[in-house]
Amino acid sequence: MRQLFSFVLLSLVSFSSLLSSASAAAADYHEQLVLRPLPLSALLASFNFRSNISLSEFEAHNFRFFPRSLGQILQHAGTQELHLRFSLGRWDSESWGARPWDGAREGGTGVELWAWLQAATDEEADHKWLTLTNALSGLFCASLNFIDGTRTTRPVMSFQPEGDHLNTTVADTHLLYGVLPHEVVCTENLTPFLKLLPCKGKAGIATLLDGHKLFDASWQSMAIDVKPICPIGGECVLQIELTIDMVLDIDRSKRPRDNPIPRPPPGHELPCDTSKPYHSHDTCFPTDHQANQDWTLSQIFGRTMKGTCPLTDPAVPPVCLQVPNSRSVYHSDGVLEKKNLDRISRCFEIKPDVNFEIVLPAPEDESAVLVKPETPLLYAERSFTGHGQERGGVQTILRNPSPDTEVEFIYMESLPWFMRIYLHTMSARVQGQPSKDESLIKEVYYRPAVDRARGTQLEVRMRVPPASTVFLTYDFEKSILRYTEYPPDANRGFDVAAAVITILSPAGYNLRTTSLLCSLPTPDFSMPYNVIIFTSTAIALAFGGMFNILVRRFVAADEGPEVGLAVLKKRIKERIGGLMEKFKKNKGRKTENGVGEPREKVNNVGVETEVAKV
Amino acid sequence: MPRLLSSALALRRDPRILKIPPYLSLLCILVGAVWLFLLPLNEYSRRTYISENALLPGQVHTYFGGSDQNVFRAYKQEVNSLVGKSNVEINDKLESIVKGLGLKTARQNFTYNAAGRTYAGENLYAILQAPRGDATEAIVLVAAWENAKHEVNKNGIPLVLTLARYFKRWSLWSKDIIILLSPDSIAGPQAWVDAYHDAHDSSRVASLPIKSGALQGAIAIDYVQEHRFKSVHIVYDGVNGQLPNLDLINSVVNIAGGQMGMGVALQEMWNHNDKYPDRLRTMLRGMLKQGLGLASGPHSSFIPYHVDAVTLQPFGEGWQDEMAMGRVVEGTFRSLNNLLEHLHQSFFFYLLMHRERFVSIGTYLPSAMLVAANFTIMAIFLWMKSGQPEEVPAASTPESSDKDTAAPTAERNLLLPLAVVTLSGSLSAIPLYIFNHVPESALTPSFYFFLVINTLLPIAISIVSTQLFTPTLQQFHLIKSFSLLLLGMFLSSLATLNFSLAMLIGLLSAPLSFVKPYSSPVARIVGFIILNLTSPPAVLLASAAVWGLNVGDILREAAVAWHVTGTYSAVVVWCVWWPAWLAGCVCVLGKPIHQEGKVKKA
Repeated sequence: MRQLFSFVLLSLVSFSSLLSSASAAAADYHEQLVLRPLPLSALLASFNFRSNISLSEFEAHNFRFFPRSLGQILQHAGTQELHLRFSLGRWDSESWGARPWDGAREGGTGVELWAWLQAATDEEADHKWLTLTNALSGLFCASLNFIDGTRTTRPVMSFQPEGDHLNTTVADTHLLYGVLPHEVVCTENLTPFLKLLPCKGKAGIATLLDGHKLFDASWQSMAIDVKPICPIGGECVLQIELTIDMVLDIDRSKRPRDNPIPRPPPGHELPCDTSKPYHSHDTCFPTDHQANQDWTLSQIFGRTMKGTCPLTDPAVPPVCLQVPNSRSVYHSDGVLEKKNLDRISRCFEIKPDVNFEIVLPAPEDESAVLVKPETPLLYAERSFTGHGQERGGVQTILRNPSPDTEVEFIYMESLPWFMRIYLHTMSARVQGQPSKDESLIKEVYYRPAVDRARGTQLEVRMRVPPASTVFLTYDFEKSILRYTEYPPDANRGFDVAAAVITILSPAGYNLRTTSLLCSLPTPDFSMPYNVIIFTSTAIALAFGGMFNILVRRFVAADEGPEVGLAVLKKRIKERIGGLMEKFKKNKGRKTENGVGEPREKVNNVGVETEVAKV
Repeated sequence: MPRLLSSALALRRDPRILKIPPYLSLLCILVGAVWLFLLPLNEYSRRTYISENALLPGQVHTYFGGSDQNVFRAYKQEVNSLVGKSNVEINDKLESIVKGLGLKTARQNFTYNAAGRTYAGENLYAILQAPRGDATEAIVLVAAWENAKHEVNKNGIPLVLTLARYFKRWSLWSKDIIILLSPDSIAGPQAWVDAYHDAHDSSRVASLPIKSGALQGAIAIDYVQEHRFKSVHIVYDGVNGQLPNLDLINSVVNIAGGQMGMGVALQEMWNHNDKYPDRLRTMLRGMLKQGLGLASGPHSSFIPYHVDAVTLQPFGEGWQDEMAMGRVVEGTFRSLNNLLEHLHQSFFFYLLMHRERFVSIGTYLPSAMLVAANFTIMAIFLWMKSGQPEEVPAASTPESSDKDTAAPTAERNLLLPLAVVTLSGSLSAIPLYIFNHVPESALTPSFYFFLVINTLLPIAISIVSTQLFTPTLQQFHLIKSFSLLLLGMFLSSLATLNFSLAMLIGLLSAPLSFVKPYSSPVARIVGFIILNLTSPPAVLLASAAVWGLNVGDILREAAVAWHVTGTYSAVVVWCVWWPAWLAGCVCVLGKPIHQEGKVKKA
C-alpha cells in the first residue's frame, strides 16, 4: 500500500515537474557544477544549487523546492536574510589566485553565521537570534548553539544585505554575526546539507558529493544563503542558494580508495630528470611536481555523475569546465559539449538518465594546460607577534598587487573577551617606511569587550596604496580565566576567529584570514605541581616565622631609637664632624711624626647612635 | 602560643645553639652531595613513561623508503656539489629544489657580533601547509648546513629534502610543517626562532616574510656520518639548562628504540650498560652541560620559547641506513601530529641517567637546595654572632652584673659591611662587561690580566679598608653574613631554574661558608690560597686544563652564547659567585681589631 502510495506521489511529482518545466516556474530551481583546474595539481569544484519561492507561497507554508525544515525555522525566528558558512582549510591565493564567487560564498575556518532578523528591540533580536542558532544547531548537527553573547557581534560597516529589503522593514531589522572558529566541519554537517536539496544526493551533480572526497579537500566551504529578491515590477521571491566549493588535490584524489597510503612508487615508475649527470637506475632527481594534469571525473570524485536532477532548469548546463578551448576533453555518450565564446570554458548538456563522465588526458601543449588564475585584489595574512603568556600582538600583512589601483576595504575582527586589545597601539604602516602612516586608517568602529559577556568588535575602514604592503598591528593583553572556564583541552589554546575583509573599491570582494590559536596562561591541572606549590608555601611560612623569631630584637617603643628626618640630619652632621676631626688629627699626627696609635679612634661618634634596626 | 614563643626566645639565647650552625651547614653540604650520588640507584630514579596519551609513539606504520632512496641519492649529489660554496649559492640551489616540491619558501638574513667576530648568514625556510589545516599550529624540521662541530651536514640536508617531498604526499597533517635550513647550528636557528616570535632585534635579524601558527615541536637532524649507523644520539640540552618535555624524548626513544630496533644514546654515552657507574656518568654529564647553559645544537634555541625540540644524531657502525633515520623522523612527526594540546604532561625538569630512567625535580632538587641552604644558615648564624658582644669587653661592662636574663646585644656597625658587599657586587659588572665585549684576540691576555688583578684585588680592598676604617671582627662577620645571605638566596632561586648551575656554584663556593678572619698570618695565607684555588678564574683555568681546551676558546664560546643565545651563566658566575668570593677573600685577609665595650642592653 505504502509503495503504491509513494509511486502515485512520485508520478504526481514527476508530472508536475514536467508541467512546471514548460511553464514560467522553470527558473525555480537550478544547479551547476563548475570545474576549474588550478596550478600545483589542484582542482576547484564549485557546486551551486539555487531555488526560489515566492514570498506569498512561503508565508502560506507552501514550500516547493525550498527546504521546509529550514523555511519553518526562518519563519519562526523572523529571519529576513540568512548566511551560514561551514569552512575548512585555507585558500592558497598565492597559487590559486582570486577566490571563487569573489569570496562572497565562503567563511573563515569553522562555522560562521550572520542574519538580518526582524525585531523591534535589541532584546527581541537577541532572543530571536538564540532561537535561530539553537534551531540551526539541531538542523546542521553543528555546535551553533554555542554562539552565545560572547561570540555574537553586530557589525556596523562590514556586512550589507544582499537581498532586496523593503524600506519599511529595514528600520527594524538587526544584523547579528556569530562565529565558531573551533568547530570542526565534518561529514555529519554534509548529510543535513544534502537533505535540503530537492534531489537530495540521488541525482544530478549532488551525486558527486561524497564525504570522503569533500573532507579530504585542501580547502572547502559549504554555504547557505537565503535572501529576498524583488525584481522590478515582479513579485518578491525568497531565494535559497546552497554552495559547496572545494579544492581537491588531484594527486591525492586519484589514489584508490582502498589504498590511500602514499607509498613510494616503484623506482622505475618515478618520473626522473634524466638530464642530471648522476642519473642512474638508483639515483633519480624527481620531476613529478609538474605532473597530474590528466584526470577523469570518476577518479576525482570516486564515482560518475548519475544523470541530472529532473527538477532542474534545463536551460542551465549542469557541468562546466574551465580549461582553454584548445585542450581536448573526452566525455561519455549522450552529452553535448558547448564551448563558450570566452575561449576558456566549456559546458556540458547532459541527458537526464546518462551517466556522465569526462576525461582530461595529459595535455600535449604545456602552455595551454589551465586558465591562468586571476590575481586577487588583496592578499591578507594574519599572525601573532610576541611570546609569553601575558601579552601579545596581532599583525596583519595586507598586500595590494595592483600597480595602479588603491584598494579600500573594511577589516573586521571579532575577538574573544579574554583578548583585551589596546586600541591605542593599533597602527598601520607601509612596508619600507619606518613610521606609521595616519592616512591609511580612515575610520574605526570599536566596541570594547565586557568580561564574560561580550567580545571585542573592531571594524577598521582603511586603504592600501597601489603596489604596496601595509602592516596593521595592535597589541593585546591576555586575561586569566577562572579555572572552571578552561576547556578540557586547555593547553591547546583558544581559537581566534578569522578577520573578515570586505573590499569596497575598486570592486566588491571578500576575503578572510586564517584563524589563530591564542595560548592563555594555563594553570597546571596536574598533581605534582600543586604538591610543590603547597610544600613551598608551607616551608616559606615556617621559615619566615623562624627567621623572624631568631633575628628580631623585641624592645618597648620608648626604648627604641628615635627615627625621623631630624635624627637623620643630626647623624649626618655628627658623621661629617667626626670625619673632619679625624682628618685634622691625622694631619696633626703626621707633623708629630707618627706618635701614638690611633686606637681610641675605633669607636667613632657614629657608633653611638647607630642602632641596628632589623 | 605565648609559651612557645617565650621558650623559643629563651632557646635562642642559649649559647649552645650558636655552636650548632657551622656543623649544620657542613651537614647540609655533605647530605646535598651524597644525595646526588644516590639518585642513580633504582630506589631513587624512575622508569620513563609516556604521559601524553595522544602521542601514541611507534603506533603507526612508516612508509618512508623504497624509491625515496633514489630521490635521496639525487639530492645528496646536489648537496655534495654545493660543499664549499657560499651561503647564498647554497640557498639558491636548495630553494629551487624546495620550491619545486610545491612548498612556500622564504629567506632571512641575520648578523650577530660577538667577541669581535661577525656571525652572519641567511636562513632558508619553507612551509609545507597542512593540506586540510588552518595555519594555527606548526612543527619544525631543522637541518643546519654545519653542525655544532662545523662539519657539513651531508646526509641531514638531503634527508630533510626527501622527507619534505614525502610528507607533501600525505594529507593527514594537522599542523603545518616548517623546513628550516640554516647555515650554522646556533646563530641561524636562534635568529629564526627569535624572529618567529618577534623577539628579535630588527637591526641585526630580519623579520620573517611568511609565518605559520604556534610552534608545537621541532626535530633537528645532524647526520654527518657517511657510513651506515648503529644508533641515534639524542641531544636535548637547551639554552640556560632548559629542557624539552620528557615526553618528546620518550617518544623518540620509543620509536627509534622500540619500533625501529636501533639503540638510543644520551649525553655521548655510546655504550651504556644501565649500571650505577654509567648512570651516574650520564647524569653528571647532563648536569655539566645543563650547568654551562650553552646551546648544544640547532634545537637549543627553540626551548626557551616553550617549543620542545631535540637534535637526532646517528652514530656508530651498524646496518641502519638513511631511510631508517627518515622513518624515525617520520614516526616522531606522526606522533607530534597527533597532539591535540601543546606538550604539557610529563616533565620539564628532570635528570636523565639512561634512556629509560630519570629523576624528576621533586627528587633531585633538595640536594641543590641543601647546598644553598648552608649559606643561608651561615648567614643567619653570623648575623646573630655579630649581635653578641665579644667576650672580653662584655666581662668588663659594669651592667653585666645585672640579674636581667636578657642577653646583651652589641651594636652592629652596618655601613662598612654594606659598602663592601655593594662594592664587590658592583665591581662584578666589570668582568662581565670585559669578557663579553673584548675582541677574540684580546680574550686570553685580558683573562690572565684579570687573574692577576683578581688575586690582588682582595688584598687591596683589605688594606684600604683596614687603613681607612679599621674594621672590627663584627664587621667582618657582617660582611660575610651579607654576602652569604645573597649567595644563598640567589642559589636557591637559581636551583629551580637551572638546578645544575646552582649545584655547581654551590659546591665550588662551599669553602666560603667556613673561612673566617684568622688571627695568625699563616692561617690567613693558607685560607687565601684555598680561596684562590676555588676562585671563578682559577676554576675556569682548571677546567680548561682538564678538557684540554684553550681558555680563549672557552671565553669566546661564552661571549657568543651571551650575545647570540642569551645564556645567563656568565651573569651567575660574575655577579653571584664572584662577589661572594671577593667578600670571602676580604674576610680572610681582614685583620680585625677587638671592639671595645659598646654594649647595649636589649
